[in-house]
Amino acid sequence: MIGYTYQKPGSVAEAFRLKEDTPEALFVAGGTDLMVKIKNREVSPKALISLRSVAELQGIAVRGAVHIGAMTSISELIRNEVMREKYPVLVKAARRLGSRQIRNVATLGGNLCNCSPCADTATPLLVLEARALLQNHLGTREIPLVKLFKQPGETCLATDEILTQVLIPAFNATRKGSGVRTIFFKQGRVKMDLAVASLSVLLQTKGNRVKKARLAAGSVAPVPLRLTRVEDLLEGDNLSSSLIAEARRLAEESVKPITDIRSSGEYRRHIVGVFVKRALETLWARSET
Amino acid sequence: MGPERNMKTEIAFTLNGFPVSLSVSAHKRLLDVLRYDLGLTGTKEGCGEGECGACTVIVDGRAVNACLYPAPEVDGRRVVTIEGLMDPENELSVIQKTFVQSGAIQCGFCSPGMIMATKALLDENPDPTDEEIRAALLGNLCRCTGYVQIVEAVRLAAEKLEKRR
Ligand SMILES: Cc1cc2nc3c(=O)[nH]c(=O)nc-3n(C[C@H](O)[C@H](O)[C@H](O)COP(=O)(O)OP(=O)(O)OC[C@H]3O[C@@H](n4cnc5c(N)ncnc54)[C@H](O)[C@@H]3O)c2cc1C
Ligand code: FES
Ligand code: FES
Repeated sequence: MIGYTYQKPGSVAEAFRLKEDTPEALFVAGGTDLMVKIKNREVSPKALISLRSVAELQGIAVRGAVHIGAMTSISELIRNEVMREKYPVLVKAARRLGSRQIRNVATLGGNLCNCSPCADTATPLLVLEARALLQNHLGTREIPLVKLFKQPGETCLATDEILTQVLIPAFNATRKGSGVRTIFFKQGRVKMDLAVASLSVLLQTKGNRVKKARLAAGSVAPVPLRLTRVEDLLEGDNLSSSLIAEARRLAEESVKPITDIRSSGEYRRHIVGVFVKRALETLWARSET
Repeated sequence: MGPERNMKTEIAFTLNGFPVSLSVSAHKRLLDVLRYDLGLTGTKEGCGEGECGACTVIVDGRAVNACLYPAPEVDGRRVVTIEGLMDPENELSVIQKTFVQSGAIQCGFCSPGMIMATKALLDENPDPTDEEIRAALLGNLCRCTGYVQIVEAVRLAAEKLEKRR
């Protein structure tokens, strides 16, 4: 049997009501992941509840932390002045997500809820220590984003829950004098491709001393991965070539990459090591100027 | 393939400047509605998965893949397809002409998508660099001409449109 019903609630409250009426319904955002899965018969839903008309889930607002509505498109993220100025690492990653046609409809919430290890917005948000607001008809809970990802394709969301907002704390904004700097790297087989490996780094230094290090890697583990051992190594220490070499070694040790059609696991591990070295060297050079 | 669930939904939108309204199965894609319900076969289906860009149309000013766009979402929106680029005298638009002049078309299968992606780009950024052109067309594959002539066609279109302004 093919075909499904398609409903377009105008509010989250209405979305929850529809979900209660049709528990087997799936939520759909921009559909750039889900429509492909439906075409390939990986899923055969009887009903879809589209979040595209829910105004509450749209847009970017600064209230201390930056609140990004889950239905904000990847293109909107890239165009947003606040994001460009304060969180360039997320904008850089967003620019590398798919094609322009995809970015115009793909949403931030969909990228995260699809829970792919290669989701391009995940690693920048992890290093920015983002939090996620999850809501169902009973209420809202706030979790660190890192807790959202359980396994490939599986988030910690209950079936009746919606990711409503992503929060980025103000203290990680790139500001003059804060010593916060960030970088994003992605390697695909061709320019438009899912990542073979990717890396986001946030570094806060005082002089040569690392006050804060956040590193997250994509496509090298079942879910987007914080490299906490590398972070612990760097924090409190002075940047040096030998420290960077050690960070690279630890990063290569921390990842659990698989071999698939895009790349061998070995190559993925190597690339992450190269990225860690290159990222730290680049950010170190930036601090000296 | 089993029997189709017959779940119809009413949609009304602006297509190439004209209002249309019709009843479609809820699981149809915008691509199906254009090609099969409305008979506008200029928009092509290559991969059906967002990879090739042959199905590119413009919805509310932005290029999208019609193969991934659920038909019910088009309700109330403005859609422009390759058929909508001709002017009232049935003349090809500037972008279409420069694609022809630059030899950017061989089999022509990718051309409607390429041209719609180009239109969306030039509407937003009338004077793009080559790098910006290539970035904007990253989601459009051509298996015939090579991309050099296509980038040339876009550059030439930008110049001609600039002179008209
Ligand atoms: C050609 C092509 C290229 C691509 N390239 C890239 C790439 O380079 N990098 C990359 O990271 N991704 C890429 N993608 C994947 C995809 O475009 C992104 O993951 C996109 O951000 C998904 O967002 P969406 O709104 O389209 O999600 P949808 O397909 O609508 O949803 C994805 C999943 O999340 C669930 N969901 C969505 N929103 C919510 C919510 N608010 N609350 C709860 N559940 C929700 C849905 O139920 C569904 O299971 C590509 C896809 C295609 C087709
Ligand atoms: S047919 Fe839509 S992108 Fe290929
Ligand atoms: S002209 Fe044949 S695919 Fe582009």
